[in-house]
Amino acid sequence: MSEGQLTTDAKPWADPNATPFLQIKNITKKFGAFVAVENVSLDIYKGEIFCLLGGSGCGKSTLLRMLAGFETPTSGQIIVDGQDQAGIPPYARPTNMMFQSYALFPHMTVEKNIAYGLKRDGLPKNEIATRVTEMLSLVQMDQFAARKPHQLSGGQRQRVALARALVKKPKLLMLDEPLGALDKKLREETQFELIKIQESLGVTFVVVTHDQEEAMTLSSRIGVMTAGEIIQTGTPHEIYEYPQSRFVADFIGSVNMFEGRVIEDGKDHVVISSKELGGDIYVPHGISGVEGQKMAVAVRPEKVRISRTDLGEMRNKVSGTIDEIAYMGNSSVFQVRLDSGKRVRVSQSNLTRDDDDALRWDDKVWVGWADDAGVVVAS
Amino acid sequence: MQGKSRFLKITAFLGFAFLYAPIISLVIFSFNESKLVTVWGGFSTKWYAELFRDPQILEAAWVSAKIAFVSATLAVTVGTVASFVLIRFSKFRAKSLLSMMITAPLVMPEVIIGLSLLLLFVAMEGLIGWPGSRGVLTIIIAHATFGAAYAAVVIQSRLVDMDLSIEEAAQDLGAKPVRVFFDVTLPVIAPALVSAWLLAFTLSLDDLVVASFVSGPGASTLPMVIFSKVRLGVSPDVNALATIIIGLVSLGIIVTALHMNRSKRNL
Repeated sequence: MSEGQLTTDAKPWADPNATPFLQIKNITKKFGAFVAVENVSLDIYKGEIFCLLGGSGCGKSTLLRMLAGFETPTSGQIIVDGQDQAGIPPYARPTNMMFQSYALFPHMTVEKNIAYGLKRDGLPKNEIATRVTEMLSLVQMDQFAARKPHQLSGGQRQRVALARALVKKPKLLMLDEPLGALDKKLREETQFELIKIQESLGVTFVVVTHDQEEAMTLSSRIGVMTAGEIIQTGTPHEIYEYPQSRFVADFIGSVNMFEGRVIEDGKDHVVISSKELGGDIYVPHGISGVEGQKMAVAVRPEKVRISRTDLGEMRNKVSGTIDEIAYMGNSSVFQVRLDSGKRVRVSQSNLTRDDDDALRWDDKVWVGWADDAGVVVAS
Repeated sequence: MQGKSRFLKITAFLGFAFLYAPIISLVIFSFNESKLVTVWGGFSTKWYAELFRDPQILEAAWVSAKIAFVSATLAVTVGTVASFVLIRFSKFRAKSLLSMMITAPLVMPEVIIGLSLLLLFVAMEGLIGWPGSRGVLTIIIAHATFGAAYAAVVIQSRLVDMDLSIEEAAQDLGAKPVRVFFDVTLPVIAPALVSAWLLAFTLSLDDLVVASFVSGPGASTLPMVIFSKVRLGVSPDVNALATIIIGLVSLGIIVTALHMNRSKRNL
C-alpha cells in the first residue's frame, strides 16, 4: 500500500539485500499447556528502535526475556549478529537489558551500579573509571555518582538503569517498559532523550511497551502483539494509517468501525452498504471484494469532518445529532449519534481561542470523510 | 475528646506497669544492701561484686555465650538454606507441607521439643554411638533446631520482598550465578541475616527448658544455674545476675529492631 513512499536507504527492512542484525525465527514458548509466544518470526536491523507493543499478557515480555536468555524457547532460533544464542547463558550474551523495575543494586552507589558490568568483564580500573564518567555525563547524572538508589527520584533511577545497561556497549539493548514508571510530563521529555542517546551510540534497541503513544514516538518500527503472536509489523505511520486488522485499528488510537456488505465491485472502487452507518461507503481502491462479502471500514476520528451544513460533494456522509462534547484543550472530541443509532467519534483541532459559532450539544450535524480516509480491515 | 485521651493514657500506663513493675523491682533490689531479698537495706553494688567472684556463675555464663554463638550461627545457616528452598524454588509437591513444618517449632511447647530431642539423642547414641554423651554439643544442636525456625521466618520475609530482577540484572551484566549470590543477594538480605542471628542468639541465651532436657553433667547454662540457685532460696546475687541479663537482652532486642527498621527503609 505505502511501500512506494519508502526510500530504501533509510529503511533497511525494505531492502531485500540487507542482513538483519537480530533474527527471531519461529520462536514458540510454552508454559505447560499455555502458549505464551506462538511462532514469532522477526527481523530487526542495526540501529533500529523496534517496539513490541501489546496489552498485558500478550507475550511481549516473555519474548524479551528469551532474547536476554532468562527463558529458553520451546522451539525456534534467536540469532544476534550472526550468532545463534541457543545455550548461551544470560551472563555471556552480547545483549543487555534495562528492567521495568530498573533493578538497581540497592546497596551500591550510582557509580558502582554502572561500573558493575565492566568489573565483571575484568576491564582495567582506569578504563572502568573513564567509561563510567562518560556514561554519567551522557545521562546527566554526574552530580549523583555517590548516591544510593533510594536517594534518587524515579526519573534519576531510570537514567542510572539506562547508563548501567549501555556502559557495556551492548550490540542490542532491550528495554522493558522503559518509561512506564515515570509521570506523563517526564515521560515525554525522556522519550526524546532516549532517541537522542540511541542515535549518538548507534545501539539497536528492542523496546517492550503497552503504551501506544510511547511506541509511536520512539520506534522506527512497531510489532503489534496479541495472544502470543505478532499480528502486524510496520512503521508507526503504516500501523496507524494502514492497520490490517480490526485489532490493530482498535488498539492503536481510537477508531470508528462500520460493518457492511459489498454491493458494488467496480474497476477502481467498491461500494459497501452499511446498516450501521445508515448509508453507503465508497472505497476508491486497494481492495477487491465479491458482491455480498462482509467487510468493515475503519475511520479515524480526526479524519471525520463535522459541520452543521451539508458536506456537499463528499460521498461518505451521513447526518446525526451531537450527543456529547469533550473539550481537551488542543482539540475537542464529539460523540455524534447517527440517525441509525450508531455513535461516531469525531475530533477537531481547536484552531481559535474563542469560537462563537462553535458546535453545541444537540446540534443537528453532518459527518463525513474523504473517499480515501477509511481503511478496509478484515472483520 | 479530653476524657478519651486521658482514658487512653491511664490504660497505657497500667498496661506498661503490669509488664514492667516486676522487672523494675528486680533491678532495684539488685542494688539492695540487705541479705533479705524483700527488705530494703540501702544502696550497694556488693551483690554484683559477689557475682563476679562466683566461679560457677562465670563458668555458666561462658558456656551459655558459647552455645548461643555457635547455635545462632548454625540456625542462620540452616534457616537461610530453608528460606531459599521455600521462596525461590518453583512449586514442588511438598512445598506447603515444608513451609508449615519449618514454622511448627515456633508454636510447639518447649517441653515437647526438649523431650523429643532428648529421646532422639538417646536413640542415636544407641544406634550410631553419636553424640557420645549429652552436654554442650547436644544443647547447641537443640538450640540450632528451634533457632533455625525463627531465623527462617525472618529471612523468608526479606526474600519475599526482594526484587528478583536485581539478580537477573547482575546476570545480564555478566555475573555468573555464584557471583550474583555474593555480590547482590547476600548484601541485600544481610540485614535479615543479622536480625535472625541476634534473635537466635537471644533465644538460646534465654532457654531453660530445652537445655535442661538435653544437657548432661558438666554443661550447665546460665538459666539452669540461676534456676537451681533459686530453688535453694532466692539470694540477692541472682537479682544482680538477672539485671545484667535483662540489660544484655534489651540491648540485643534494640539492635535487632534498629536493624529491621533500617533494612525496611533500604528496600
